[in-house]
Amino acid sequence: MKSISLYVEKDTFIHKLEPVTKLWYAFTSVLLTFILPSLWMGILFLLFSLLLSISGRVLKNMIAFISAVIVISLTMLVIQGMFYKDNSTIVFTFGSLKFYKEGLIHATLLIVRVLNMIISFGILILTTRPSDMVTNLVQKGLSPRIGYVLSSVLQIIPQMLSTASTIIDAQRARGLETEGSLVQKLRAFFALIGPLVLSSLVEARERAIAIEMRGFGISMRQTHVSVILEGKVDRVLKFVIKLVLLIALTWRVVSWII
Amino acid sequence: MAKSSKLTTMIIVLIPVAVGINYAGKFFAEALKLPLWLDSIGTVLAAMLAGPVVGGLSGAINNIIYGLTAGPISFIYALTSIGIGVAAGLLYRAKMFENAFRALISGLIIALVATAISVPLNVIFWEGQTGNVWGDALFAFLRSKNVGIWLASFFNELVVDLVDKVLTVFIAFGIFKALPKTLVYGFRSED
Repeated sequence: MKSISLYVEKDTFIHKLEPVTKLWYAFTSVLLTFILPSLWMGILFLLFSLLLSISGRVLKNMIAFISAVIVISLTMLVIQGMFYKDNSTIVFTFGSLKFYKEGLIHATLLIVRVLNMIISFGILILTTRPSDMVTNLVQKGLSPRIGYVLSSVLQIIPQMLSTASTIIDAQRARGLETEGSLVQKLRAFFALIGPLVLSSLVEARERAIAIEMRGFGISMRQTHVSVILEGKVDRVLKFVIKLVLLIALTWRVVSWII
Repeated sequence: MAKSSKLTTMIIVLIPVAVGINYAGKFFAEALKLPLWLDSIGTVLAAMLAGPVVGGLSGAINNIIYGLTAGPISFIYALTSIGIGVAAGLLYRAKMFENAFRALISGLIIALVATAISVPLNVIFWEGQTGNVWGDALFAFLRSKNVGIWLASFFNELVVDLVDKVLTVFIAFGIFKALPKTLVYGFRSED
């Protein structure tokens, strides 16, 4: 069965880190580019995140994420370049359109922030097996029931999508009209999603009974089949990340008060 | 632990199915070449079946999983999904899904809620843009006429969201009406 995870199996330093460490890094680097509102700070973090994705050997996969925001980034440059509220210095004119320095710089800052967010979370997503992340979070105190929901979703989606293709084939074989006007298509949409919802809800009810039989609702301390170990490196890295975050937050608060 | 005791096993298995229905909705919409996303039908259904908390939870988990499997941008819009789920659950409790007309009104309300949550996110991350060509063209036009960024962004998002959300809610309503009652009552939380 095809998997929907984006995990890339490789053997690097980044892959071996504890998932929670990578989660901390992603959160911190996104937060810092917002609370330290300087373009150079953003570029620094962006370069650092890029460096990490190179050392995790996932740069190629990252390009797919980045290309998803290229169009909006370009239009942001155009719109901000022309209409930003503090625009005053003209950089160049294009026919009758004027582009201003302030707007272009502002748009660059926004783009850097978004790229940094995509890349730092991208590292987490591309170098961590989803099931490891769920196990790790449950070990750190996430409710095991929510943990079950998360890992169950990752298994159910490929199943439901393959049921969905079966339903499309079956309804087409019965002569379902899938071309034509919007109303016709919406009618077809009902004929496709209806059976899927019904069958998956019935299945869910059976699954509930099945996992109850295996002691899912039991209120005792549960143990884990696989345990994710926290290495020395993880401990040091998490400490450094939290320290940097704390310093940045204090600086921000202090500079607000003064 | 009053909060987690409400999460019965039936609800625990409902949430993954809700997320799966969201994915399937998007899949069918693409297969039929519909110019819509229709990717929150499951969230709305879960909210109707099991209440606002479960609706919100389904929305949040939907975007977390979507972020993990399609690209991190959708993490941001988890807030919008939570809003859709909670709003749908509350509207159901307020008997706003009794008939087709009320469902239509509910659809409009949910579209407004989704827009109201998305706009600040769009302003923070994209300075008001949505990435949709038509919406952004309108946005640029309004900005060039000196319309404020919040208002311009609001119309931008509304153009993108309104039809999609109203239809999403309407489809969820249609499916819900057709579900056998024995199935529906099984998912009710015990409050």
